[in-house]
Amino acid sequence: MKPWNQRLAPYLFIAPNMLIFGVFIIYPAINGFVVSGYDSNNGRTFRPVGVDNYGNLFGDAEFWTAARASVIFVLAFVVLCTAGAAGLALLLTQPIRARGFFRAVFFLPVLLSPVVVGLLWGWILERRAGALNSMLGADIPWLIDGRLALAVTVFVGVWTHVGFYTLIMMAGLQGIDGSYYEAARLDGASAWQRFRFVTLPLLRPTTLVVVILSLIAGFQAFDFIYTLTGGGPLGATTLMVQYVYEHAFRSPIRYGLAAAGSVVLFVTIFALTMLNFLYARRREAV
Amino acid sequence: MRRPPTTGRVLTYAGLIALTLLFLAPVVWTALSSFKDRTELAARPPALLPQTFALDNYTEALSRFDFTIYLRNSLVVTVSATVLTLAINSMAAYALAKYNFRGRDLLFLVTLGTIMIPLQIILIPLQQVASQLGMTNSLLGMIIPPAATPTGVFLLRQYMLTIPDELVEAARMDGAGEFRIFLRLILPLCRPALAVVTIFSVIWRWNDFLWPLVIAQSQDLYTLPVALAQFNSEEVVPFNYILAMSVVSMLPVIIVFLLTQRHIVKGIAQTGFK
Amino acid sequence: MRFNRKMIVGAALLLAACAPGTNDSGTNSSAQNHLTYLYFTDGPDEQVTRALIKDFEQETGATVELQIIPFSELSQQLQGRIASNNAPDVFRTDTLTGYRDALLDLKANGQDIGAQFMDEARDYISGPGGSLLAVPSDLTMNGPFVNLDMFAKAGVTPPSQPWTWDELIANARKVQQANGTAFALAYDKSGHRFSGMLNQFGTNLFGANGVELDAAKASAAIRQFAELHQQGLMSKDFWLESGTKYKGAIDIFLAGDAPVCVSGNWQVSQFTKVAKFRWAAMPNPCAERCGGYPGGKFMAATKQSANPQLAAKFVAFMNSRAAQEKYAKEAQFLPTRKDLIASGVQYPNRAEDMATFLADVKRTDKAGFASTYSPGFSPTATTVVKELAAVIAGQESPDQAVTNIRAAAEKNLR
Repeated sequence: MKPWNQRLAPYLFIAPNMLIFGVFIIYPAINGFVVSGYDSNNGRTFRPVGVDNYGNLFGDAEFWTAARASVIFVLAFVVLCTAGAAGLALLLTQPIRARGFFRAVFFLPVLLSPVVVGLLWGWILERRAGALNSMLGADIPWLIDGRLALAVTVFVGVWTHVGFYTLIMMAGLQGIDGSYYEAARLDGASAWQRFRFVTLPLLRPTTLVVVILSLIAGFQAFDFIYTLTGGGPLGATTLMVQYVYEHAFRSPIRYGLAAAGSVVLFVTIFALTMLNFLYARRREAV
Repeated sequence: MRRPPTTGRVLTYAGLIALTLLFLAPVVWTALSSFKDRTELAARPPALLPQTFALDNYTEALSRFDFTIYLRNSLVVTVSATVLTLAINSMAAYALAKYNFRGRDLLFLVTLGTIMIPLQIILIPLQQVASQLGMTNSLLGMIIPPAATPTGVFLLRQYMLTIPDELVEAARMDGAGEFRIFLRLILPLCRPALAVVTIFSVIWRWNDFLWPLVIAQSQDLYTLPVALAQFNSEEVVPFNYILAMSVVSMLPVIIVFLLTQRHIVKGIAQTGFK
Repeated sequence: MRFNRKMIVGAALLLAACAPGTNDSGTNSSAQNHLTYLYFTDGPDEQVTRALIKDFEQETGATVELQIIPFSELSQQLQGRIASNNAPDVFRTDTLTGYRDALLDLKANGQDIGAQFMDEARDYISGPGGSLLAVPSDLTMNGPFVNLDMFAKAGVTPPSQPWTWDELIANARKVQQANGTAFALAYDKSGHRFSGMLNQFGTNLFGANGVELDAAKASAAIRQFAELHQQGLMSKDFWLESGTKYKGAIDIFLAGDAPVCVSGNWQVSQFTKVAKFRWAAMPNPCAERCGGYPGGKFMAATKQSANPQLAAKFVAFMNSRAAQEKYAKEAQFLPTRKDLIASGVQYPNRAEDMATFLADVKRTDKAGFASTYSPGFSPTATTVVKELAAVIAGQESPDQAVTNIRAAAEKNLR
């Protein structure tokens, strides 16, 4: 048996943070979960409807379009963010000139407000004489063609967030003890083999952090998409968060349906995160 | 002694410079465009440079309200929330990383779970809670709720896992109290990770919009982002003001980043998430 | 990790304990003789609002705190603040839908002023039992603007009396060709603006007895609108590039990419400030009917106000004859008071353009007012944009769009 102070200490340490979580995040979230069993057009008068909201949600073609777009977006976003961050981190940990400058450059978009990011890229990518098409002398329907618009949305998302994950990846890379590389070199491993058999496996725990954080960020992406494409053309880039948001705050208001949508969204993210953890734990990464 | 550059190095620099253009050009363009008026902004194809470097967008937008009050509120909120974040996040992370106690896994899951809940979705119940606690219309209401950042706990916990348990045990053998160990042993070891969380927290709190808007109902409690958004009316979204104001609000964070950039990178370097 | 039965029971109890709903009996925490006024601004109206508030404070000894937020957050803020017993005493809004049950009866609080405002809005601002829930604080009128420099170059004179739609299209095309602009016409991406075209084609989304929308007329309007895009007279991209979100056509107009732009009187002060060419408002074109499409803002007080009498008094003051005249003059808004509509407002700037809009108010079919003041209007306007985009993209026939819009309108009215 441990002494009492060691048994009590963790609870005291964790209490302030958990108190705030409980009051300001978890309690309202549970409230939101409960609301998914009601119908409301203003968020203050409620009529119980059982599971109708879920029925309506799953019966709504627009919900499935949004879910499909979300899955594509998140998959691409996570893969590109993780790979991009790893690549950039590899580059930026080389002994290069002006390394501090380059590191700052990739972090800059993280500082821009998402609203400005959306407006800015929307303006660059306008078909008729937007900056990019003017420069290329081309007529590419970046934001007009549904598939292209979704791809653009992924690109802008990665552009904005990759700097954040790059910093975390650089940490992982620089945390790898140089002696492993020495040993591999002595064994005659080529540069590729050193990367494949030393860097990659030792980077796995960092990769897990990046995958999980980007997965969550991907599912929550909203602000910049709203100003970039507004969810268009014809709903092609309307993701689940926007679907929920519009039902909650844009006329006609269907608050309960929005709550049901956010419950589904939450369960999806949570399940995927857990899968990642279990997979990582199986590989003894955590 | 100079060696001729290898193909690899040439490629590295070429890649870096191309990527730099991709990342830097839009930001620089934002800054340049913030000097253009509405007509210039609407011009197609857009010009790279503004016709004149007129400060109208800046002066007009800023003269519409008392800039110093909002700047002060933003500073107070950012600084106090960040200090609070560092304190409670590191304590929570320490409990999760270095103790074995009932409910630990559940609390870790809860922490992860809270990262996943978007603010937009819990806004109305959240407003009710804040109102019941009398936190609306107070700076405290803007500081306390966002201070418990789940991402901060997550990052710090992952870092603390790399500190060997033996260190903690040894300190206990020497008769150090639990809090003393945390304060004198763990925190100094975590300094790099704390620096990372500091930077993230400063960025988040400085740019927060939705939460301060909900809490600060009186205009003398507005933070910069809230004050700056007032220009967005129903039918007219003044892009020229938005650009100018985003440059204004970006500058302080860029300066903070440039000053601490070395420290973050070094901080992250030593973090070595395991 | 183990989930035991105790935890599940606990969670269930917790869920049951927080069934939603709020006590509506609460009052906000405004001090005695103090009011909060939640406001969104269109620009030039802010200064004059502040000046009027000063007048009110001097006259009554009360204090009024103006709280300005961006329009995009208005609905979210109001919902949240009302739900948490924290409602502003008075607010400005574009719609009463969703707030009606929270509004203060101005009549019961000493301000029986409903009859002073235009009759068309009467039903909309009235609550159950003859109560008065709000007053219209300004009226807007949709209408076209023309680039006079471009018209002059093409030798076309903008009319003082309305053109037909065909004349508008033919002349706009002529001006477009003479100036080599990318488009002939620009039209705000807004269900409200398109409702003006519907009204001109002889039908409306809503009438006095619910959903009206005549299938043949609506279909004709949509077909005409889509053709303009397919022929390249209007920008197809504009409708597809930003989803169903509102987007103003004025940027196309300001950049000199189209000689005609359909928006409304609220742009007058903006154009005065930034346009780098000569411009003017023009009467709305006619098809079956003439005139434009009305809209506007309201001012209301909330039941939660700790000072209901004062709140009602403030609403009445801000919309008194003298105050509204000042407000309309400074901000280039149109009046909603019967006495001001009758006498007219002497605008210090751009008086001719304002006169053009006022003339169109008189030409506008009364059915347009019934439609715009229908509780189903603002939700259906979003559907209109979505369906128009689908037709313009060639994914849907005009008839199909009409069917879908009708279905949405019926659902939204229920």
